[in-house]
Amino acid sequence: MAYDIRLKNVVKVFSSGKHKGVVAVDNVSLDIEDGEFFALLGPSGCGKTTTLRMIAGFEQPTEGSILIRDEPMEHVPPFHRPVNTVFQDYALFPHMTVLQNIMFGLKMEGLSGDAAKQRAYEALELVRLPEVANRRPSQMSGGQQQRVALARALVKRPAVLLLDEPLGALDLKLRKQMQYELKSMQQQVGITFIYVTHDQEEAMTMADRIAVMSEGRVLQVGSPRDIYEQPQSRFVADFIGETNFISGTLESHDNGVGHVRLAQDTVVDVQMPKNFSLSSGAVTIPIRPERIGLLPNGNDSPFHNMEDITILTGHLLDSQYIGTDTRYTVKIPGDNEIVVRIQNVDYLETVDFEIGQEVQVFWSLKSTHVLDH
Amino acid sequence: MAADAKVKNHVQDIYVDENAVRRDMLLRRIGKIGLYFNPIFAYFFLWSPILVLVIFSFNRSRSVSTFTGFTLRWYNNIFNGVMGTEVGFSTQNMLLALRNSMIVSFSATIIATIIGTMIAMSLSRSNFPGKRILDAVLFLPVVIPEITQGISLAIFFNVLFGWWQSLTGQRIFPGFHTIIIAHVAFNISYVAIVVRARMANMNPRFEEAARDLGANEWQTFRYVTFPLILPGVVAGGLLAFTLSLDDFVVTFFNSGVGTTTLPVFVYGLLKLSITPEINAISTILMVISTVLIGISMLLQGRTALR
Ligand SMILES: Nc1ncnc2c1ncn2[C@@H]1O[C@H](COP(=O)(O)OP(=O)(O)O)[C@@H](O)[C@H]1O
Ligand SMILES: [Mg+2]
Repeated sequence: MAYDIRLKNVVKVFSSGKHKGVVAVDNVSLDIEDGEFFALLGPSGCGKTTTLRMIAGFEQPTEGSILIRDEPMEHVPPFHRPVNTVFQDYALFPHMTVLQNIMFGLKMEGLSGDAAKQRAYEALELVRLPEVANRRPSQMSGGQQQRVALARALVKRPAVLLLDEPLGALDLKLRKQMQYELKSMQQQVGITFIYVTHDQEEAMTMADRIAVMSEGRVLQVGSPRDIYEQPQSRFVADFIGETNFISGTLESHDNGVGHVRLAQDTVVDVQMPKNFSLSSGAVTIPIRPERIGLLPNGNDSPFHNMEDITILTGHLLDSQYIGTDTRYTVKIPGDNEIVVRIQNVDYLETVDFEIGQEVQVFWSLKSTHVLDH
Repeated sequence: MAADAKVKNHVQDIYVDENAVRRDMLLRRIGKIGLYFNPIFAYFFLWSPILVLVIFSFNRSRSVSTFTGFTLRWYNNIFNGVMGTEVGFSTQNMLLALRNSMIVSFSATIIATIIGTMIAMSLSRSNFPGKRILDAVLFLPVVIPEITQGISLAIFFNVLFGWWQSLTGQRIFPGFHTIIIAHVAFNISYVAIVVRARMANMNPRFEEAARDLGANEWQTFRYVTFPLILPGVVAGGLLAFTLSLDDFVVTFFNSGVGTTTLPVFVYGLLKLSITPEINAISTILMVISTVLIGISMLLQGRTALR
């Protein structure tokens, strides 16, 4: 497998001003494959922009190394790197027209005249803005500026395109549309995208793989499905979507199934990750609200006799109608409160639950998983 | 009944002390009037001497105390070589002084603008030890009294030339070079401050975007940084030119033979007596300066760069 970009144990410490040293990026290693749509996801201030700026060459790593197409980038200035950036605030040159902006990168390559113009117009076609060539950036909407910034970077035909929250300034509807367009554009041109965002939904919809960052560290790298289904830490489970955390004690495990005691008379089965660090002790079971079913107690659950189904009794504390779903809060054994999301559909018989009522919650072994803290 | 009392009570809560309100309104009105007149007084003090000068440059009689009627005679005198009644004034001398002023102002402005811009760039775009001190020192020439600057530069040249003479036996006299160096010395700060403000207002992403797109340092400066700070550079240059054009004190202490600039020339006339021609020249100088400063300020306020 060809790697476009490799980060090896990269550390970045900012040591300016009064502060002793901010560790913005802390021992990050990443292998980003050729043609991949790779998302760097994390809350504000977790070091995403700094990571991107080190790849672009605007910042030097304090430790570690960055390789682009197997070339170490240590002393390579930004203008010699085969990467281009789409900045969050676009940074279109205000004193140039759109066409001049796009042709700037070509001019720096020594390309000018009709050949450059043709490539610039091709780039404008690609972002579907052929008619604005002679306008100034200030005469365009945010969405249009965004497309021009994209065209300006893509016209250079970089190996890798770096995008720093490129849709952050757009309104929701436009953002959704641009997400779709960006993704199809990436597939069309076949360029590796490294896409920085703090929006987990955006990362999930667009990326082939996601690196979840927190406080300068990469906590987990994987496909959107991996990240969602098998979060390896509490932070990842919590940051991506909604999660219940059920605490209990791991007592034993066999054949990849762990037995976790929630209360004196309640033991549930969970899937054990390979190489799990504990064989017994306090653990947390993360489980998604939409993976849990709810029935009134006493009903014979249709799943009652199925294998790998965990059924617990509890009572309903609260219910909240939110349009697409209803959210139920249920108290289950071991002083755990969990949220259950049931989709509001008409083709099934709906059950009216009352607050305080005894209920059954159930889930499949496949939806379970265990964390060591 | 109970409900009634409640309503009344409620209404009473809203009642206000009318006297207090009146007192308040009065104070506010006085304050407003004060605020209105304050700048008028301030500008009156600032501008009335200048206004008098301008008015009397159009005065028909030679008197500088009574206005007897409108004339352009004094302006005519300046430009047509008609000697005034006073000794020492000739159009030829004035034009010579004007030429000297132009030589000094243009050279000093160009040199100070280049150096000042470079200083502004290094102060705002790079980090080096002692930068904060340099940053603070930048404002010194703006706050140091001009007389101090003039004298210190004169002493500096004296020492320098004395040292040079003892070394080579060659004697250097003050002249255009000393005036120009002196003007550059105080102008650098003004240019640097104006350009620095412009740089500080510029989003650093523009320069990063240029480098990202393949521009090296020089190309980034040539195609992005410089065009974007150009209004600031021109504004700084115009400011420097104006300061240089009407500088008297620093020039006076550092001039040599045959380097009389226009302000020094006017001062020379003044020593004899105040003549309407002086008023006329001063008015012209003032108009030029005001226009240049106006353009400079317009340029500084132009287009946000965020
Ligand atoms: N130039 C800088 N100097 C000092 N600290 C910085 C600098 N740039 C970023 N940081 C700090 O590094 C951390 C990570 O910042 P950043 O990479 O911008 O995060 P993100 O893009 O994920 O929001 C933050 O704590 C930020 O304050
Ligand atoms: Mg950021």
